[in-house]
Amino acid sequence: MNREDIQMRCDRVPFFRFLDFIVSNLIDEGIETIMPFSESHIGNPVLNYVHGGIVASFLEATAMLSVMENWEGNPPKPINLTVDYLRPSKSEQLNARAVILRKGRRMASVEAVAWQDDEQKLVAKGLFHFLVV
Amino acid sequence: MNKKEDSVSMDRLAQLWSSRAKGLIAEMNLQIEEATYSGVTIRMTFNPNFCVDEEETLLHGGALTALLDSAFGLANLMAIGDVQTMATLDLRVEYLRPAQTRADVLVSAECYRQTRHIAFCSGKVWHDGAAADEIARGSATFALTRGKSGLLEMMEKMGAQ
Repeated sequence: MNREDIQMRCDRVPFFRFLDFIVSNLIDEGIETIMPFSESHIGNPVLNYVHGGIVASFLEATAMLSVMENWEGNPPKPINLTVDYLRPSKSEQLNARAVILRKGRRMASVEAVAWQDDEQKLVAKGLFHFLVV
Repeated sequence: MNKKEDSVSMDRLAQLWSSRAKGLIAEMNLQIEEATYSGVTIRMTFNPNFCVDEEETLLHGGALTALLDSAFGLANLMAIGDVQTMATLDLRVEYLRPAQTRADVLVSAECYRQTRHIAFCSGKVWHDGAAADEIARGSATFALTRGKSGLLEMMEKMGAQ
């Protein structure tokens, strides 16, 4: 699948349209995405930080797409996730990269990271498990 | 603080929390069913924008994750009287079943342990009318700062704007 195909699949998913991100890059065993800041993503209205649930959802969406990109057939089913929040997500664009750590016959483990202006300063890092049968 | 005053300030906190005019909390259309120092229950009405399929019946897991994170925030606010700021350190979510009806979603959350600097929360998610069939469970850890002028005053100031 090329980048445009994946973007088209994203655009059909209502929740992905709500997150409003784009697929920016296909990389080896993974994918990169960009999500512009939106008022509807705010979790802390005093400091205008992005909601932790949105950061986790954005990472999960990116992780899921990295699996879809590498599998034909049924869409991957999310089993669980863990996210570490390393810094607050300010009212700026968020970037994410998901890399598949292991592709089994039934399961996939995917690591995803998010950052803002400096890729060395991660906002969050997550580990996601999907069922791919 | 006597019981009556206690419940008044609880109501006030809950009211302020849900009256935040912008952001995801408003977008999710959350309604507080119950909020006390020992736990909270929140309702999220079905929202087709949070679905993963074109038919708009299956909620994306991310919506449940965001719901749990929000519920933990309110649980902390209710349980920790002098909380000033809270930052999520980590969040874990288990997807137990597909969220595949158009029914409202309910979440219950509690802050089951607090120390001076850290709060530990856990929560459950189910569809209205099917409490036995949980669709997700979650837990999270928060870093706290405590102080005299708590979140309540900050939120009241915001409300006054």
